[in-house]
Amino acid sequence: MKMNKLRADVQALLFLFPFLLVYFLFTIWPMIKGVEMSFYKWTLIKKMDYVGTGNYERMFQDNEFWASIWHSTIFVLITTPLMLVLAIVLALIANRNSRLQRFYRSVFFVPSILSVAVASFLGLFVFQPYTGLVNSLLHWIKLLPEGAEIFWLSETHLAWIAISLLTLWWTVGFNFILYLSAMQDIPDEVYEAARLDGASDSQVFWRITLPLLSPITKTITMLQIIASFKVFMQIYVMTGGGPLDQTRPVIQLIWQTGFRKNDLGYASAMSYMLFVILLVLSGLQYWINNRKEAN
Amino acid sequence: MKKSLGILVTFVLLFSMILSACGNGSNGNAGNGGSSTNDGAAENNNGSVTSEGEEKVTLSFWTLFSGGDGDNMQAMIDAFNKEHPNIQVKNTKLEWGEYYTKLITAVGNGNGPDIGISHTSRLPDLIDQGVVSELDGVADEAGVDWSTFNQNILAATIMDGTHYAVPIDTHPFIMYYNKKLLNEAGLLDEQGKPVLEQSADGFVAFLTTLKEKLPQKVTPFALSNTNDDPFRLWWALYSQLGGNDVVSDDLTAAQIDTDKAVQAAQYIQDLFHKHKVIKVNDPDFYKNFQSGTAAIMMTGVWATGTWESTEDLEFGAMPIPKVFDQEATWGDSHTVILPITKKEDPAKRKAAITFANWLADNGQVWAKAGHIPSKPSVFEKQEFKDLPYRSDYVSVASTVKFSKPSTKNWQIRDLAMFKFLNEVWANKMTPADGISKMEAEVQKVLSE
Repeated sequence: MKMNKLRADVQALLFLFPFLLVYFLFTIWPMIKGVEMSFYKWTLIKKMDYVGTGNYERMFQDNEFWASIWHSTIFVLITTPLMLVLAIVLALIANRNSRLQRFYRSVFFVPSILSVAVASFLGLFVFQPYTGLVNSLLHWIKLLPEGAEIFWLSETHLAWIAISLLTLWWTVGFNFILYLSAMQDIPDEVYEAARLDGASDSQVFWRITLPLLSPITKTITMLQIIASFKVFMQIYVMTGGGPLDQTRPVIQLIWQTGFRKNDLGYASAMSYMLFVILLVLSGLQYWINNRKEAN
Repeated sequence: MKKSLGILVTFVLLFSMILSACGNGSNGNAGNGGSSTNDGAAENNNGSVTSEGEEKVTLSFWTLFSGGDGDNMQAMIDAFNKEHPNIQVKNTKLEWGEYYTKLITAVGNGNGPDIGISHTSRLPDLIDQGVVSELDGVADEAGVDWSTFNQNILAATIMDGTHYAVPIDTHPFIMYYNKKLLNEAGLLDEQGKPVLEQSADGFVAFLTTLKEKLPQKVTPFALSNTNDDPFRLWWALYSQLGGNDVVSDDLTAAQIDTDKAVQAAQYIQDLFHKHKVIKVNDPDFYKNFQSGTAAIMMTGVWATGTWESTEDLEFGAMPIPKVFDQEATWGDSHTVILPITKKEDPAKRKAAITFANWLADNGQVWAKAGHIPSKPSVFEKQEFKDLPYRSDYVSVASTVKFSKPSTKNWQIRDLAMFKFLNEVWANKMTPADGISKMEAEVQKVLSE
């Protein structure tokens, strides 16, 4: 028995080996190398001087870094709750018995298959003045007077709205699918029992559906926070981080520092700071969830 | 139990998905490019002519040109290979956005090409990083006559008295006009040139007349509202006033001639918001001119090829008007460089510089995209004269105000100047405020 298990493990490892090799070379090794980099002044081609914790000290006094961390945080704070609500609502719609069920499912999911570049350029075209979809629509329903334009991408507040809407539209599909499958996991008997007890639709939702979805909600929240902190491309395409760098997320700053300012050492230090922040947030969330369950 | 396993699996799957999505994100612009080596050309010539005794040299050439530029460069390489049976140049087209990063890293670990392209403004950085080799020795050997180049273009590629690059063009910021619309507004003379008094008030009067006389849907002046083009216009006007770059001569500190910088910025801000001759935040400023709904347009000479291939667009090209004291405009150049290689091969280097000099000598092909050739002798060639428009702006080659050889030219432009000038164009900052903040930011970039 034991022998068999060992053989199975070895076999599994054999199958995994090609992947593990690539994974180590292109993911684990660069991560280790990144730690080393963060202690050096390091350009695109060469290691220059050892600076100890110099890059980290510089980071703590660097307003631009903290501003960009804040911008990423704004993005997380706006999109995460909206994403959860939107995903549940869409899942509820698609979970109803309706002839359009299949249609809903594919329509809600379709934007997710677009690559980030395609989605971002769509966002750019939809929100641009004069010829963009949004402004044209507002003109058409006479909400926006003739000759007036809303500059979605050049005003900081409006830019956040545009970026968030685009991101919601583009990425809600995955979360919607997760919710939908979780909803289908809820046994029908539970609903039947509730109906027999005379529960209303809203009671069923708040007392049964939502609580039974809570494990997946926790998962989605965590994934969403991590993913949202890594936002870059759609902002880069739509606003370039402007106006006045006020929508520049931290990943864009890291990229600029590394590849535009040729300062990979400092860029690595900032990456690790982001890593630590995400680690702490995930740990915190894990701890809160566990404590609740223990109670 | 089963459910939690399911969640775990989705968790892992999703996580890997996000990771890979993220990977795609940061490489987004590399995606479609890759590299395509063209060795079709090499086959043209084998056999008959190569028996001169000299060994055949094959050179790798990395370029960043796409579209019309890419086609013209390929045509020149093919012609060169045909004329020189002993030298074969192989073109590798790289994605523009990734070009410099790839060049620097490749040269850094000894896998760089034999020949490369650099913008003049990027040259100091490449020299500083040890990517570009000196050319003086090999140029003498190959008989390159530096005096045949336009000296304004050439001077910008010389650092500390040493040649580092062979310029093949300059691509300055110029003005285009729609002949039909100018005619409609009564601002076109018999020779088809704009009736325009070359002064600050004269240019404003010209634009306001266009605004009054033309239908409302016509934009008098199509110009981007952010980043490159309005910055180039500012640079041109600032230089016309006598402004001399934004860094000091020793390149260590920010140094802006504040009065001139503010005056130039004020003039442009007024065009946007006081005279209202530029459409605010127009995302389609190129298309606007192309489709004949804008009277004038300013951008780099590379647009000439685009306008030419547009049906029913009757346009003209001319230097930026002399709004202030002296003629000047923004411009940059494409230059050919010989990257540093692991093992220096004199035969290859000689062949490479022969090729570079040949490219400059045959600028009439390169000029098809709109660029101004770097050798004035090309202007006299019939093939060049047969190209329309170019001769109307070749004089600009001598009045381009290149940036000083700072290693941080691009950072200063992208990270400091665009940022605050954009605010001035959006009317969110006064020119004085914008320029003083810009100077502080330039200083910050320089001291980092």
